[in-house]
Amino acid sequence: MDQLAQAAERVAATGSRNEKIAHVANYLKTLNDADLARAVLFLSGSPFSATDPRKLTVGYATLRAALEVATKWDPETLSLCYREVGDSGETISHLCRPITKSEPLSLSQAEDYFDTLRQTRLTRTKIDLLAAIFQTHAAPALKFFVKTITDNLRIGLQEKMVEDAIAQATNQPADAVRAANNRGGDIAQVALAARKNQLQTIEAALFHPLDFMLAQPLDNIVELADPTNWYAEDKYDGIRSQLHVANGKVKLYTRGLDDTTDAFPEIILAFTNQTGPLILDGEILSFKDGRALPFHQFQQRIARKKVSQKTMGEIPVVFLAYDILMHRGELVFDQPIETRRRMLEELHLTHLSRQTPIETHAQIEDLFLAARASGNEGLVLKKKGSNYESGRRGANWLKVKKPFATLDVVVTAAEQGHGRRAGVLSDVTFAVRDGDKFLNIGKAYSGLTDEEIKQLTKIFRAGTIERYAGGRVQLVKPEVVLEVAFDGMQKSPRHKSGYALRFPRIVRWRQDKTAAEIDTLARVQELFQKA
Amino acid sequence: MNVEFKPEGIFLPAIDLWLDPRVPVPSAWLSHAHSDHARGLHDTVIATSITAQIYRHRWPLPPGRAQQVLTLNPHQSMEWNGATLTARQAAHILGAAQIEIEFQGERLVYTGDIKRRTPICGWHTEPAPCDHLIIESTFGIPIYQFLEVAEAQSRIANFAKECLAAGLTPIFQGYGLGRGQEIAHTLALHQIPCKIHGSIAGLIPYFEAEGYTFPQSSENGAILVTPGLEEKLPIPPSKRKSALVSGWAALDNARARANADVLIPYSDHADFSELLMLIEESNPSQIDIVHGYAEPLARILRHRGRNARAAQVAAEVQI
Repeated sequence: MDQLAQAAERVAATGSRNEKIAHVANYLKTLNDADLARAVLFLSGSPFSATDPRKLTVGYATLRAALEVATKWDPETLSLCYREVGDSGETISHLCRPITKSEPLSLSQAEDYFDTLRQTRLTRTKIDLLAAIFQTHAAPALKFFVKTITDNLRIGLQEKMVEDAIAQATNQPADAVRAANNRGGDIAQVALAARKNQLQTIEAALFHPLDFMLAQPLDNIVELADPTNWYAEDKYDGIRSQLHVANGKVKLYTRGLDDTTDAFPEIILAFTNQTGPLILDGEILSFKDGRALPFHQFQQRIARKKVSQKTMGEIPVVFLAYDILMHRGELVFDQPIETRRRMLEELHLTHLSRQTPIETHAQIEDLFLAARASGNEGLVLKKKGSNYESGRRGANWLKVKKPFATLDVVVTAAEQGHGRRAGVLSDVTFAVRDGDKFLNIGKAYSGLTDEEIKQLTKIFRAGTIERYAGGRVQLVKPEVVLEVAFDGMQKSPRHKSGYALRFPRIVRWRQDKTAAEIDTLARVQELFQKA
Repeated sequence: MNVEFKPEGIFLPAIDLWLDPRVPVPSAWLSHAHSDHARGLHDTVIATSITAQIYRHRWPLPPGRAQQVLTLNPHQSMEWNGATLTARQAAHILGAAQIEIEFQGERLVYTGDIKRRTPICGWHTEPAPCDHLIIESTFGIPIYQFLEVAEAQSRIANFAKECLAAGLTPIFQGYGLGRGQEIAHTLALHQIPCKIHGSIAGLIPYFEAEGYTFPQSSENGAILVTPGLEEKLPIPPSKRKSALVSGWAALDNARARANADVLIPYSDHADFSELLMLIEESNPSQIDIVHGYAEPLARILRHRGRNARAAQVAAEVQI
């Protein structure tokens, strides 16, 4: 863990993706097989692999209690330190530096600790074990030991980069490593196979989320050279999800790749009669009295761990399928869309997206208007004969949305509103992404419900980095993703992105997206060229 | 002695003396030349000779305006309205000093901004035993832990060397008075050329007068600017790297907030352990804490049996 911490700090200290990958690759090369397997897991931010049934249940409260035992700091001081640092692993590392015996922490020891913690039932015992660890091992290793527990290293290293680093360290093609990890879901196993030049032996596994195929935005339908090459489907205003089914076991994963099975019991129930093994791509939608419920209402169901009968009655949901990734245990990525569509139809699902072959541009316009009229976002155009390009935003799926455009942005600062909204942080400044940096592009005041503003205010207060203007304005951790619509754009020195939006308004809070997934400065520039 | 903490500064009514006042007053002790401490035209100013010079540079005297400047260098004492004032060295920026005030058998020390470790440019802190201590707490909670000076200097030099070797421009962010010159002097010690932004360069003569050396300017060297300016440099992001040398660099979140790649936690303020050490060495029976984490630090000290309280002066000036 000590060398992993050094490598991780080097990764954090550069914004360049290539440099990050090179730092990880150089570190991985120094490791024996057993440590290689552990290191790639920990660097991906988890103590156990996604396909491992073992789960570590150590929460923030337990970590904090252990820190209190280890350092004997009073709760008030600890709260303040947590707030200022904003990360459990880093806080623990700072506060333990003066008191730890600073012994090394090997990767196998770390793994043993994770496993012991997992097997420990009593919280009190977990706290004592963690406190002993905090008093024993060197601060830099503790930082990443804890970050592995809390699931996020926060060094700007996505799992995709770890995959690329494995490829670099083992001289394997990056595509082969990515495909193997997408199939198998166990990056430790993939790293070992890559080193032995046996990536092809990694088999497809269910019950870990596979990468979604994504659509490129099409700003103007006349850009489409030959409309007869395409199918059209409505673009639904739901939650993009993947449904895994095998032998009566059903799991749902959303685009953020979280397991949301428990939030949607009626969907699970609807699929238990499928034998599978089967993986479907589709959308969770809420229909009531024949109409889709507004997203913000429906959204209340995402965060729920347990759902009451009452909520299920008020906000009923369905899974609407539009593609198939695994059919009878075989991955079908490489089958053409027509074959996959036939497989889907043969499943006789209650909710299947309607697919229309296109003849003319005018037909797209009609379908678009019809989709909008029935409450959907627009259209997705899918190319005839195309494969399912897992993890790619290729040119074979195109999304057609209104108005001028919308952008997914992240909130960087929040400000107290006026009048009725004086007590809440309702006015937000938001940014697009440029590599690892977030560049402000505008400010919006409207579009969220009071309830959403209340919830967001809590999140902003917890994520405050700095206050100014007498505390009215708070710089916040870039974590809340919003979709903003706007009517035009111009160059502007006012914002760091160099652009300003015309009449920006919040369309909705994208709880299903992380800051890493928002729109980029390149996308903004591209929109500006077209404006 | 009665001490009044006012929005305008710290006031000692018994001897009619202000400590680092923010507005013009009849008579003021200036602990050091940072502009949130030495500002405005007071009738009488008491300061070390270096602080007085830099203060004059930044607050020139308008024609026809008179001001009495009384120089009080470390180890010197003077009488003032029935009290004995003695300057004590403070490690902070060039010329910084604590003031020790003996009045009616009681000894009060006001540290101004201070740290315990020896600075790159400037003198070390003299321990100042006293009955009543007024101390700052910019970094007064235990998450703030800074580098030893030698380690900070080698990280500054290595960052610059590694960038230059990789064909990148190393950019340092440093404040106009203090950190900026310390970074530049460190680069000079390692023969690394550096272009220095005007507001930092303008104060270099005061450092040269104390014997500090500064680097050659070159197109192929490092760049040193005040925070915020690094974004305006006409160098593409892929061709540069930026280092933040600051106490705030002790936390990873400084990276995003200062737009920095590399963090070097070195400050002209004390970290938490230095504050505790300074307090041990002064061993006062009464402690007033100003700036920063005043209340949290006071609470921590009270838990340790010290008689400490937070003296809220005024809203912090955000730099």
